[in-house]
Amino acid sequence: MEAVTASAPVTQGVEPVLSARGLVREYGAVVAVDGIDLDLAPGDFLTIFGPNGAGKTSLLSLLGGRLKPTRGEVVIGGQRLDFGETSWRSRIGVLSHQGFLYAHLTVEENLRFFGRLFDLPDLDRRIPERLEQVGLADRASFLSRQLSHGMRQRLALARALLHDPEVVLLDEPYTGLDPYAASVLRNVLSSLHDGRRTVVMVTHNLTQGLELSNRVAIQVRGAFAWEGPRERIDAADFERFYHHVVEDGRE
Amino acid sequence: MSYVRQVYAIIWKDLLLELRTRERIAAMGAFAVLAGVLFNYATDQTIVRPQDVAAGLIWMTLVFGGLLGIGRTFHLEAQDGAFQGVLTSPAPKDAIFLGKTLANFVLLFVVSLLVVAVFMLFFRLELGSNPGMLVLTLALGALGFVALGTLFSAVSSGTHMGETLLPILVFPLLVPMVIYGVSATSRLFADRPVAEVAGNLRMLGAFAVLGVAAGAVLFRYVVEE
Repeated sequence: MEAVTASAPVTQGVEPVLSARGLVREYGAVVAVDGIDLDLAPGDFLTIFGPNGAGKTSLLSLLGGRLKPTRGEVVIGGQRLDFGETSWRSRIGVLSHQGFLYAHLTVEENLRFFGRLFDLPDLDRRIPERLEQVGLADRASFLSRQLSHGMRQRLALARALLHDPEVVLLDEPYTGLDPYAASVLRNVLSSLHDGRRTVVMVTHNLTQGLELSNRVAIQVRGAFAWEGPRERIDAADFERFYHHVVEDGRE
Repeated sequence: MSYVRQVYAIIWKDLLLELRTRERIAAMGAFAVLAGVLFNYATDQTIVRPQDVAAGLIWMTLVFGGLLGIGRTFHLEAQDGAFQGVLTSPAPKDAIFLGKTLANFVLLFVVSLLVVAVFMLFFRLELGSNPGMLVLTLALGALGFVALGTLFSAVSSGTHMGETLLPILVFPLLVPMVIYGVSATSRLFADRPVAEVAGNLRMLGAFAVLGVAAGAVLFRYVVEE
């Protein structure tokens, strides 16, 4: 594995579904995201690693249209993210380390509410399907605050996937989960590997991050210090490699 | 049609949450009753005629009590980042604003009826021959109030000062509502002809339309990062 600073397209030869060009986000004097270029095709699963404060969450927020870039642009399925027009949001599903759930609504009500916001037809069919997919079919009438953290995370995933998005953005989905809950979530995430969805996941967990991905990036100080295909990474030696890239990126 | 469905989704969710938590309606309702009791003792009714001061006190109770509830519009939204989830949906920001404003309107309108009932009890007020006009006065005033209150609640919830900032932002803008609301209400309690309150109602209507329109346009600039 050789550390390279890359801004080349992640996937070549295939029509990208998610692209970023010269993406920059500044908070005053702080540059959280510093000139990121990205191209991801349908079926790509990109995991972004990086130390705290590297700008991973900011990058994910930019890709999902939750933050406006200071410079640069994001294009999803050929449609440039335009903040005055919101139809492109139905192409994106977001799972944050926060669940985006209402504690005083039931599992079913949470999904019904977000389904209506996305103007989805067939909610009576779609909601049970998603709950089945994440293993919460028997918890539909529970208030979301009555669920364990792992169950809430799966409900949040059901919410993120309810509208069947082309692009799924996952921010630290394994945070706070016990090994069992993490394995359940992993199974659900692996089902996203269906060749038509594009997934970007941010995580600190090197093992879980490598498991599902076919593309890997290491972000340091807002920029990608290394990016490339998963095959170029030796999983057994990845921790040492990761520290090496982070140290280099900080210098 | 999807726009209407999105507005409805927000109203349904906000009212359902309020039904479950009773967080805001209980605070506003309790404030209305207690304010009515205190104003009753704070007014020497042997010197001042109750109907001369009741309209002003009703509207001030509505303003202060209303802010207790409207100021917490985004409180439950902040938990677990729920409002961020709303913002990731394709629902237009003005649809989100309209939904939240209409849900707040339902709550404040119910409270305003309670306020009037409490003051009628303690100040021995007669309803007059036009109760429908009184209801319309309260409805128009409440709509303008919640439009501005919802917008500035979003502003203040994103600041370090939080709810304490809200009165400072909103009170100056509520002056027209108080002027025309008090004027119309006192005339209706005095059983004056409808023609005497028509101008006040038009001004309250204009205030409500301007409040809703301004909120719908400006809300996106408040909630977008």
